[in-house]
Formats: sequence, C-alpha cells, structure tokens
Amino acid sequence: MKTDISLMRNIGISAHIDSGKTTLTERILYYCKKIHAIHEVRGKDGVGATMDSMELEKERGITIASAATNVTWKGHDINIIDTPGHVDFTIEVERALRVLDGAVLVLCSVAGVQSQSITVDRQMKRYNVPRIAFINKCDRTGANPYKVKDQLIEKLGHNAVLIQIPIGLEDKHEGVVDLVTMKAVYFRGDQGDDIEITDIPDDLKDEAEEKREVMLDAVSMFSDELMEAMMEGEVTEELIHEAIRKGTLTQELTPVCIGSAYKNKGVQSLLDAVVQYLPTPTEVENIALDLDNDEQEVKLEADETKPTVALAFKLEDGQYGQLTYIRVYQGKIKKGDELYNTRSRKKFKVGRLIKMHSDHMEDITEANCGDITALFGIDCASGDTFNAPGLNYSMTSMFVPAPVISLAISPKDKTAADNMGKALNRFTKEDPTFRTFVDPESNQTIVQGMGELHLDVYIERMKREYNAEVEVGRPQVAYREAISRRADFNYTHKKQTGGSGQYGRVAGFIEPLSEGEYEFVNSIKGGAIPTEYIPACDKGFKSALAKGSLIGFPIVGIKVTINDGQSHPVDSSDMAFQHAAIGAFKEAYPKAKPVILEPIMKVSVEGPTEFQGNVFGSINQRRGIIISSVDEGAFSTVEAEVPLSEMFGYSTTLRSLTQGKAEFTMEFLKYGKVPMSISEELIKEYQDKKKKES
Amino acid sequence: MVKAELNKRSPLRVFEKTINGGVGKGNIGVIASKKGVGKTACLVHIATDKLFRGRRVIHVSFSQKVDHIITWYEDIFKEIAKKRDLENAVDVHDEIIKNRVIMNFSKGGITVDQLLSSLKAMIQDGNFTANSIIFDGYDISAAQDVDVQKLKNFARDLGLEIWFSSSLKGEDPVFLENGVPEDLVSRIDDIDVLVTLKFEGDFVRLQVVKDHDNLETKDMNLRLEPKTMLIVRD
Repeated sequence: MKTDISLMRNIGISAHIDSGKTTLTERILYYCKKIHAIHEVRGKDGVGATMDSMELEKERGITIASAATNVTWKGHDINIIDTPGHVDFTIEVERALRVLDGAVLVLCSVAGVQSQSITVDRQMKRYNVPRIAFINKCDRTGANPYKVKDQLIEKLGHNAVLIQIPIGLEDKHEGVVDLVTMKAVYFRGDQGDDIEITDIPDDLKDEAEEKREVMLDAVSMFSDELMEAMMEGEVTEELIHEAIRKGTLTQELTPVCIGSAYKNKGVQSLLDAVVQYLPTPTEVENIALDLDNDEQEVKLEADETKPTVALAFKLEDGQYGQLTYIRVYQGKIKKGDELYNTRSRKKFKVGRLIKMHSDHMEDITEANCGDITALFGIDCASGDTFNAPGLNYSMTSMFVPAPVISLAISPKDKTAADNMGKALNRFTKEDPTFRTFVDPESNQTIVQGMGELHLDVYIERMKREYNAEVEVGRPQVAYREAISRRADFNYTHKKQTGGSGQYGRVAGFIEPLSEGEYEFVNSIKGGAIPTEYIPACDKGFKSALAKGSLIGFPIVGIKVTINDGQSHPVDSSDMAFQHAAIGAFKEAYPKAKPVILEPIMKVSVEGPTEFQGNVFGSINQRRGIIISSVDEGAFSTVEAEVPLSEMFGYSTTLRSLTQGKAEFTMEFLKYGKVPMSISEELIKEYQDKKKKES
Repeated sequence: MVKAELNKRSPLRVFEKTINGGVGKGNIGVIASKKGVGKTACLVHIATDKLFRGRRVIHVSFSQKVDHIITWYEDIFKEIAKKRDLENAVDVHDEIIKNRVIMNFSKGGITVDQLLSSLKAMIQDGNFTANSIIFDGYDISAAQDVDVQKLKNFARDLGLEIWFSSSLKGEDPVFLENGVPEDLVSRIDDIDVLVTLKFEGDFVRLQVVKDHDNLETKDMNLRLEPKTMLIVRD
C-alpha cells in the first residue's frame, strides 16, 4: 500500500480539440504499463482510445466526461483526471478542476495556441492550477515549437520556458535535448519504449547551450541558490529542478516540454516533468466550508490522521450500479468506514473502494488523503461532500441558485419517453442547478437551468447517451412580479347559496419587502378575526402569490399585514377566509403599482484586447451595464450586468464578433426591474395568450 | 432627503465654486498629495457627485484588482446615503451604477495610445458617452510631453474633463512658495485645476493651488472627514 503523499500527483490534461489530448493520455497509460497496446482515437481497429468512455466522445473524437484513471510512473502515483476541454460544460469542468492539483496543457506544434487553449488555460488560471506545457505533434509538417512557446508568452501571458529542444522536426523528429541534463534523449522502437540517452549531437550543441542559458536566466529568478551557483559556475541538476518546481508551483513559470505522442516521442520525458514539477496534494491549499459555523472557511490538511473530508466530483452509471468518483482531501477512507454526507445528512458505509482505469477497475482497501478513488453503490449526487462522522464540512457552498431559464421538452416517441425519464433523473443528480418538473397546466415536462447553453448540453446528452430524442420549446425566462408601493385592502367574501353560507372579511395592506419573498403580519386586535382563522388568511395570501396578474409569474418581495376583519358565527370557515384573503389580494395588487422583474446575469467576457470595442458594443446592445473592464495587456476581461432575456444566442454573436477568440461566462446575479416598454410588451403577450386559451 | 436636495447641499458645490464652476470640458484637473492621504477617496467622491447628477464617469485605474475600486465607490455611496438619509437609496444606487464604468489596466508599461484606444472603444463602440474620466494612479509628473498632449487632445476632442491623482514623492514633499508641489512644477502649464491635500493636525485640508488662469493658493474650506473619507465643509 502506497501512503507517501509526496509521491502522489493529481493532474489534468487539457487541450484544444484535436491537439492530441486523447492520444497523449493513451500513450501515458501505455508507458505506465496500464494498457498493453496502443489504440488510436478514431480507432482503425474499432477499439478506440481507452479514456473516451462516452458515445458522444467517441463519435466526435473528443472527451467530455471526466473519468479518472490511476497510473504509476517511477514510483509515483499519478491520477489523471480527464478534463473536458469545452467551455459549455461548466459544472463538469469546474468539478474536474477542483480535484486536480496540476495540469499539462497540450498544444499543437503547428496550430499553436488556439481559442480553446485560451479557454482552458483561463479556467486553470481561475482555479490556480500550476501547469506545464507539452508542445505535441512535432512530427507534423510545419511544426514549430519555438513559435508555440512564443504564443504561450504573448497570447496566454505565461512565463514559458523551454526545458527541452527538439531533435529534428516534422518527419525527422527523433527525440529531445534535455536542457537540464544536457543530454540527447531518443525514443526508439516501434512504440518508443527504448530510451537512448546520448551526448548532444554536434549540430545542436550551440543551440542547446544558448537555450539553456535562456532557461537558466528565467529559472534562477526563483532560486537564490541557483543564482549563486550560476555565478560560481557550479550549477547542479538538482538546483535547476528545484528552481523550476518553485516557479511552476507559484504559477510564475511554465516549463515547456516537446514531443509527438502519436509518434511516441517525448512522452516519458513529459512524465518525468510531471512528477518533478507539479505539486503533491500537500502543496495545494484546499478550503472547505464549515456548515456548523455559518459556512466559515476551513483549511483542509492533507494529513491522514485528521478526520476524513472527501468530495464526490463525478458520478457514472456502470453495469454494476452507480460509481462515485471522489477525492479525499483530508484523512483517509477505508473499506467499512462510516461516512456522513453533508448534503443529504445521511450516514453510509463504504462498501467497495475502487481504483479506476477508465473502463477497468481494481479493488483497493483504503484511499489516503490526496488520492482519487471511486465508491460503489453510494446514493449521492455530484458535488456532495463526505465527512467522518462528527464533522460537518462542505467542499462547495450549499447555496444552489434558483434556475433562471426554462424550456418545455416532449419526447418524440414511446422509447424516447422512457429514456427521457431516466436521463432527467440522472442529470438532476449530477447537477443541482438543473431541475425538472411537469407543469400541471400544460402537462409538459419543463427543464430548468442556468442558461441556454446549460440546457442545450443536457438536451444533446439525452439524445446521445440515452437515445431520447425530444422536441424543444422556446426558452422561457423566469420572470417575477413585485409591488412597488403600499396598497390597502378591505374585502368581504360572502356567499349564500342555500345551506350554510360563506362569510369572511379581511382588511389591511400590502407593501414591498426588501429582503425575503413573503412575510405575513397579524396585527388584529380584539379578535375581529378569530385566531383560528388567521392561518387560513395566511394560506390564502400565499396562494395568491403563485401567479401574478401582470404576466402570470410568481410575486416576490411582499409583506402582508392584516389589521381588521369580521367573521360570522355560522357562515365563517377556513375556506371562507382563504377566499377572502385571495379576494383581498386581488383588490390591493393593481393599486400597489406592480412591476415585472427579470433575472439579471453577471456576465464576464474574456478575450483579446483588440476586440474589446466589439464586446463593449455587444453588451450595450443587450441592455447591459458594463461594470468594469480589466486590461491585462493582450487580454482583457469585461464584467457586465445583462438581462438574461437579452443573452439568448450571445455565444454565437460573440464568436462572430471576435473570430471565436473570446469566451463568456454568466451567472445569476439578481432580479431587476424590466424597463417600461418591455414590460408593456410582456403584458400584452400574456393577455393575448390568455385570450387565445379562453 | 431626496436626491435633488442632496445634490444642492453637497459640499462639492463649494468645491466647484472655488474652481470657477468646475474643471471644464477639455481641461485637466489634478489632486496632488503624498501617498496615503486620501487622493482616491477624493476622486471617488468627486466622481460619485457627478454620478448623482446624472453625468457619466469612467474611472481608470492601474491596480492589480478591480474589486477594491468598486468597494471604494460602494463605501462612499453608503456614507453619503447614510449621512443625508437618502430616500430610495437602492433605486438611486441602481440608477447611478449605469453611469459608471471602471477600466483597469493591470499590466505595467501600457502606452498612452493603448489607453486612449481602450477608452475610445468604451465611449464609441460601447456607446458610453462619458462626461468625466478619472485617472487614478497615472503619474502625470513623470509623463512625456507628447503623452500629456495626447491626453489633452483626447479630452478636447471628446469634450470631457479629466481628473488625475498625483502622488508626490517622499514623506515630506516640497512645495514652492506659490503652493505648487515641486514634482509638478514642470507640468503646471498643462494643468487647469490643481488641488492639494495636506494634513493639518488630525484632518486633511483641501486647497486650490491653480484655478484655470489663476495661480494663487486658496483655501477651499473643505476637508476630508477622517472616518468616512468624505469631503466635508469646515
């Protein structure tokens, strides 16, 4: 059993589509003896590369879901978390990025830094993930790793430093010169297994010396000892490694490796760099929130003697049931341990513990802190935190924002209907911001989420993974209604239709409430309404809030005070007072100047500064308010507040405005008043719809 | 108090009066003091006053993070709202935010051309017709003549006023007899309005050193309130 955390690495491999990420992963698995043969991504042999487990990925030749796999390289335990490279898959990406401590950024030596590389790199930066770069495909025509290194500096703002130079490029690419050891490394044999280390060939000596100087100059910034050693001419390999490591961990330096995964060149050297320069789990700070203490931040310690804290970051439905990928942040997990799920507040026993190699698995008895492993048959959702009993930490905030957009979907046929149910069940478990329900009025299935793309991804996955084809309605923004001033009511509900009648009178006022959705205040004195009927009044008002009269959306931010009323000894009842309250509300609501509220999103657009004028313009056209623009040289970030209803199709607009070089993220910020002109339109639309229905 | 009343009674009216109604379109104003006296607070209050009066302001900064500038604005707004017991403070806040943009340039060595091109993009493409631009942290005393000229032309062409903060060097900066800080002597012809901040006992006093064509030190009868950093009357 390996327990030495210093020998553990959790890494992600991130790249632009088609820069060879899957091929690289495949080779890593091969050299680490996890698989015995090499397959190609778009497999000629029909088997396909090992990491691509979902159908969709196979078809597109890309990787979407983040499967984790464990390999061993020179005594180091490396967990590879396959991160989705696509910007739309936010929740998946964010979860994957949380659990990894370092990453390899794969770049194509011909295409260089592409828009997607920019996206994934930005995401890594956001999560403070130290990176090393691998310039792949050096065997391709037009390969130019030096140009790509320069792009890393110019386009991504990395302090990128070559720690290798290629021996030959294009079809002459044979290996690399290691600038630390100053040796030539060749990868011989059909599958590059035979590594031959020799002196640097004569024609590369000068270049190697020159590039080594550049490397040492950059690297010595991170180590005084190395700087001194350089002056005294006593530079050792250890000192260089240490300095590179320091710079990498603080993300102030990006060491650059070179090779061609497809031609089996340079992968082993890259693995050496991974274990040498990327952090161990103890070198990364991880924060949990203490739910017993108002979500106070607590620093977790990668110490196996501390109480256990683990995060479930990925669920997978396998043939034997649900598999839950977890990362242990603190303490350790043993088979038979009891753990507590802070979200569901349920305890469970750890049954089978598993190390995953994509589709094959291996049973283990314990997982140490820092490790990534999988549990079998645990009922939980993605993002759940597991604690040792007694602890109540959560790795993510328990606050789940309410969905801001909804879409009606209907299955195309019977099979689709069955499968759709299964898919929805699964997705809602995976992603708390994705919800679904059946609208009682239209009897349609409604899915809700945080944005247009968010829902698109699930519709697509339904089709691919569950064979559920659905018809999709028009996206609907979740509007709200609210009042803007106080209004009084005094309403009598009276009905006399033989037998016992109904009687109730309620009086009082409604007023805007700045915090919270609804408040009910009873200030009746002298029993004008008997106490027993007060809850019925409350219930009546509440039910009236479900659907506002402007556009039929829920009413929020309202305080109802009742201060007078009347009852009848025989004809009054709960029902009578409920009706009275509803009537009273309907009387007061139009007088309280109701307004329509719409979800306002916090939008952040990142892209090359040269396009910022277009970005400003696009936000301005969408009723957006630019809060700030941060110019970091070649790149800038624009933060804005934009109504959700104006954000439909923004990704397409942005792409065409910026040649696909900018990306945006958005999240719900608040509800804001809809401008008068739009409000009138919405009201008219609602009334037309109502007319049609009746 | 309602917004209109608040504007009428703002100490910034006193401020404007002493500088002949304001810096003016196409002109340059400078707030100068040594480090840590309250230049940013002053500029944010000046900007907030403009926002309260429906003007549009771009705040240009050069710090590492944009959050703390926003915090400055939030704090100054809260203090003003509290002090004057502002009615509908939330609505007023939402309304004035629309007229404010913060542009931060975190990478050192940005040229004036790049700066102006970004500002132009905001004003023209972003359709944000600013009335004032605040440059907080741009060292105008060390700027090249040609750059200052470009900034002045920009202000003139777009019809807006520009405020700079100028950090005077040293613990005890030297001022000439006419009140002009030594660091700014070579620039004084390009500056239309120069206001200095100086500690006087426990508080910070505002003085006008240059008011358009008038190079004569006048007391503004204004100071910074130590706790809130608001500009207040003596």
